[in-house]
Amino acid sequence: MKIKFALKAFLAAAVIMSAYTIAAPASADEDPVVVGFIGSFDSDVGKSTLRGAEIAIEELNEAGGVLGGRQIKLVKADTREDVAEGIKAYEYLNEVEKVDFIVSGSIDDVSLGWLPRMTEYRTPTLDTWTSFIGIIDKVVEDYDKYKMYFMNVANDYALAMLYVDFGKDILAKKMQWKTVVVLQEDTAFGGGVFELIDQLLAPEAKIEIVDHIVYDVNTVDFAPIYSKAVQATPDFIYLISSVRSQVPSSQYVKLQVPLPMTGINVAALGMEFWGDTGGMGGGLSTLSPIPSIGIDMDDRSKAMLAKYQAKHGDNRPVVPHFNGFNAYFGIYNAFAAAERAGGFAPLDKWVTEMENSDTKIYKDGELWLRYAYWKPGEIEPRTEREYTHNIKFDITPPYEDGAPSMVVIQWYTDGSVKVVYPEKYANGDFSVPPWVK
Amino acid sequence: MLSQILIQGFLLSGLYGLLAVGFTMIFSVGRVLNLAFGANIMIGGYVYFALAQEAALPKLPSFIGAVLAGVAFGVVTYLILVRRFRDDPIAVEISTLILAVVMQALIVMIFSPAPRSMWPLLPGVAHIYGVAVSLNIVLATVVSWVVLGGLLVFVHKTHLGRAIRAVSMDPKGATISGIDPRQISLVTWGLSGALGAMAGVFLATYTQLDPGMWVFPLITAVAVVIVGGIGSIIGSLIAAHIIGFMETITTTVIAAELRGVFTMLLIIIVLLVVPKGLFGREEI
Amino acid sequence: MGVLVSLRWWLVFGVGMCLLPLVVSTGTLRILVFAQFLAIFAMSWDILSGRTGYISFGHPFLIGIAGYTTAMLTYHLGVPLYFSIPAAVVATMIGSIFFFIPALRTRGTYFAVVTLAFMEVLYHLMQVVQPKLTGGTRGLSGLPTIILGAVPNYYLSFGVMFVIGVGLWLLIRTRLGTALSTIRMDEDAARSSGLNTTKLKLFAFMLSAFVAGIGGALYTHYLGSIAPRGIFDISFLFSILIAALIGGAGTIVGPIMGAYFLTLLLEFLRPYLPGPERYLIYGAITLLAYYYAPKGFHNIFGLLWQRLGALGRRE
Repeated sequence: MKIKFALKAFLAAAVIMSAYTIAAPASADEDPVVVGFIGSFDSDVGKSTLRGAEIAIEELNEAGGVLGGRQIKLVKADTREDVAEGIKAYEYLNEVEKVDFIVSGSIDDVSLGWLPRMTEYRTPTLDTWTSFIGIIDKVVEDYDKYKMYFMNVANDYALAMLYVDFGKDILAKKMQWKTVVVLQEDTAFGGGVFELIDQLLAPEAKIEIVDHIVYDVNTVDFAPIYSKAVQATPDFIYLISSVRSQVPSSQYVKLQVPLPMTGINVAALGMEFWGDTGGMGGGLSTLSPIPSIGIDMDDRSKAMLAKYQAKHGDNRPVVPHFNGFNAYFGIYNAFAAAERAGGFAPLDKWVTEMENSDTKIYKDGELWLRYAYWKPGEIEPRTEREYTHNIKFDITPPYEDGAPSMVVIQWYTDGSVKVVYPEKYANGDFSVPPWVK
Repeated sequence: MLSQILIQGFLLSGLYGLLAVGFTMIFSVGRVLNLAFGANIMIGGYVYFALAQEAALPKLPSFIGAVLAGVAFGVVTYLILVRRFRDDPIAVEISTLILAVVMQALIVMIFSPAPRSMWPLLPGVAHIYGVAVSLNIVLATVVSWVVLGGLLVFVHKTHLGRAIRAVSMDPKGATISGIDPRQISLVTWGLSGALGAMAGVFLATYTQLDPGMWVFPLITAVAVVIVGGIGSIIGSLIAAHIIGFMETITTTVIAAELRGVFTMLLIIIVLLVVPKGLFGREEI
Repeated sequence: MGVLVSLRWWLVFGVGMCLLPLVVSTGTLRILVFAQFLAIFAMSWDILSGRTGYISFGHPFLIGIAGYTTAMLTYHLGVPLYFSIPAAVVATMIGSIFFFIPALRTRGTYFAVVTLAFMEVLYHLMQVVQPKLTGGTRGLSGLPTIILGAVPNYYLSFGVMFVIGVGLWLLIRTRLGTALSTIRMDEDAARSSGLNTTKLKLFAFMLSAFVAGIGGALYTHYLGSIAPRGIFDISFLFSILIAALIGGAGTIVGPIMGAYFLTLLLEFLRPYLPGPERYLIYGAITLLAYYYAPKGFHNIFGLLWQRLGALGRRE
C-alpha cells in the first residue's frame, strides 16, 4: 500500500514536472530593444504590416542601431484574425518576450480584444490597420488609460468625410448622379460608415439615398440584392464591404449589373485583386487609405517599395497595402521619439515625444505624406472634434497640412489601377464598367 | 418582382440541393453527420481552382480532377475514421470535425488564407422574363438537376443503388440478404465525396474560395437534411427548395441581414415539431 | 473511504498548482489561465454531455449568454460586478431551457444539431438586433476587470476551476451522478426502473449552465472584451469539445487534463512554428490523440494506474 502510494506520487510528480518544463523559453538577454508584431501571419494585411516593420527595423539596425547602438529584435505573434488568439498573442509578447514596443496589423474586433491588455501592460502600441473611430474616442475620453495607443491610419469618420467630398466633386458634379442605393454589409464597420454617409451625402453632395440594403456577409447569391437595387432605379450603387468583399464584386461583374458601383471594397485594396477575381474587377473603384496602390510615390516610399520587392519577389502581396507603409514610417517615428525620450520608458516621456513626431514627406516640392499625430485637446477644424493619437490627416483641400484621409482608386479593364480622387493625387480618370451605359 | 423571386429562388435551390444530397446519403446509410463534408466541398473548389486557374488546364479535365479528389477524400475519410468508430456516431462526428479543422489549416498553408474568386464556368448573362441571371448559375442549376435525376435513377433502378437503399432502411436485413454494408458504405462515401466536390466547384463560382468556406455549406447541408428528413433524396430536394426560396424571399422582401437567422429558426422549429423531418421515415 | 483516498490526489494537485507561480514565468501563468477557463467550460460540457449523453454542439451559446449579460450590464449601466456576475449566471440557467426543451423530444445527433442551430441564431442576433447595446460585430471592449496581473488571475481562475472540479467530481460519485449516467446508457430503461429522467436531465442542464455561467462571466471580465466572433465560433466550440473528449468524457478529471493539454500544446508550438503550420500540427496531434484514445487520457492514466498498483502489490 505504501509502495503503491509512493509510485503514484512519483507519477503525479512526473506529470506536474513535465507541465513545468513546458514553460515558455527563457527570455533573451536584455541587450536588444525588442519590438513585437501582432497580426495575422498569412493574410495580405498582416504580411504588409509585418514586412513594412521588418524593413524599417533592418534599416535602423544597419545604420548602427538605436538608443546608443543597441540592435532591434523583432518578435512575432500570430492572431489568425481570431479575437482570443489576439489576446494570447498580446500576452505572449509582453510576458514572455518582454517587448518594448508593439506594432499591430489587426482588424477591428481583434484590436478591441487586446486593448484591455494594452492598458494593463501599458506597452506603447502602434496600430496600422484598424480605422475604428471608437478606439480613438477611448483615447480622447480616457487619455491616461489609453495614451500609449497610436493609430497610424486615418479613422473611419475622416474617411467618410472625404468620401462625401468625392461624391460632391466627382459623382454629383462630373457624373451628374443624383440618387444612390447603399449596399451595406451587416458589420459594425458597415453600420458606422453608413451612418455618416446617411447624415452627410444628401446635404453636402446633394445625392439622395433611395434605398439602403443591409446584407448578411455569408450571402451566397447576390442576384436578389442587385435586383432589388436595380428596381429602385438609382444612378449608382454605393457598396460598403470589408468582409468577403470578393463575393459582391465578382457577382456584380458576373451578373453585369447595369448600374455603376463604387464605395468601399476591401478586396480591391491590393494588387492581387486582379488575379484573385480572375481579371473581373475592371470598372470597380474603392476608397483606400493613403498610400494606396496605384498612387504616384515619393522617393522614400519608392525606396521602401524597391527593398520590399527585392526581398519578397512574387510572394503576395507584391505591393504592400497602405498599412505596410504606415508600419514602416510608424516604426521610424516611434524610435525617433524613443531617442528623444531616452527610451520607451518612462511611458509619459515617450508619449509626449511621439506626439511631437512630425515626418513630412515631399514629392516634387509638394507635401505628399505626413506622419504626425493629433495631440490631446487639438481640434480638427472641419469636423470640430478631437482625434487624439490618430494620424494627422487633412480633410480640407488643398491638403497642405497633411495627406488626405484617403484616395479613391479605380481598376480598369486592362488590369491597371490608378488614383482618381482627390485631384492633387489623381493620375487617372473615374470610369464605370463597359456594360454600364 | 414575383418572377424574380421565382427564378432566383429556383436557381439558388438547385445549388442547395446539390450541396446537400451527398451529405444526406451518408446520413441515410450510416446515420452519421459527416462534419468533414464542408471540407470536402472546399477541396472540390480548391482543386478545380488549382487545375483550371493556376495550372491553366481546360475546364472539363479540371472539373473531373476536382470530382476525383472529392471521391478520394470521401473514401479515405471512410476507411480511416469511420471504420474505426463505426459503432459510435458521435465519435465519427467529432473526428470528422477535427479532420475539417485540419483540412482548413492545410488549405491555409497551401493556398494562403486570401480569398480567391473563380472564373465562371460559363460567362455571360441571360434575361429570363426580365430577370438578369448569369449563365454560370443556370449551368450550375442544370448540372445539379441532371446529377440529382441521375442519382434518383441510380438509387431506384440499379442493383447497387437498391443495395444502398436497402442498407439505409435496414442494415441488418440487408446483411442477411447478402449485402455487405461496409462495401455499400464505402461506395456511398465515395459518391458523396464526388457530389460534395461538384457542389464545391459551383459554390465557389457563385461565391469565393477561402479556407473558412467549409462552415457555411456544412450548416446549409445540415439544415436541408434536418428539414427534409433522413433517408429521402426527394425530401432533401424539397427541403433545399424550401430553404432556397425562404432565403430569396427574406433577402428580397423582408431584410437581407436576417438571411441566416431564418434558416436556423427553421431547423429548430422542425426539430421541435416534427423531429423526423418533413419527409423522413418514422425513426430517430 | 475510496473517495477520501482519491480526494488526497485533488489535494496534491491543488497544492502543486498553488506552488506553481514560484517556479514558472508569468507568461506561462497567463497560458494556464486560459487553460483553466477552458477546463471550466469543458467540465460544464462534461456534466451535460459526457454524463447524460446529450451531446451539445452549442455550448458557446450558454457561455455567450453569460458573457454578454454581464458585459452589457457593466458596460452600459455600470452595474457592479458582484451583481452582474450572479445575474449572468441566472440568465445562463434560464437560457439553458432552450437546450432543455428540445432534449425532451430529441436525442443523439438531432439534439447536437439543435444546439448548434441555437448557437448560430444567437451569433446572428447579437450582430443584427440592437448593435448599439451589443456592440454589433465589433463587440464591447474595455469591460471592468476583477483583478489585474498574471498571478492574481492565475489563482482566481485556478481556485474557481478547482472548486468546481472537486464539487462536480464528488457529485458524480453520488447516487445522483450514477443516475445521470444511466440516462446515457439507456434512457428508456432508466425511466422504466422508476427514475424521473426528465427531472434528472433538468438538473444536469441547470448544473451545466450554472458552471458555464460562472466560467463565461469570469472569462469575459478576465479578457476585458467580448465579440461575437470570439465566442460563437466553431474554433471555440472545437476546443471545448476536444478538451473534454481527449481528456476523457464523463469523468470531470479528464476535461481538466484535456484543457491543460490543448492549451499548452498550442502555446508550446508557438516559438518553434509561429505561422499557420502551428494549427496544422495542433489539429493533427489532436486527431491522432482522439483516433488512438477516443476514451481520453483519463482512461489511459487509469489503466497505467492499475498496472502500477498491481506492481506495487506484487512487491
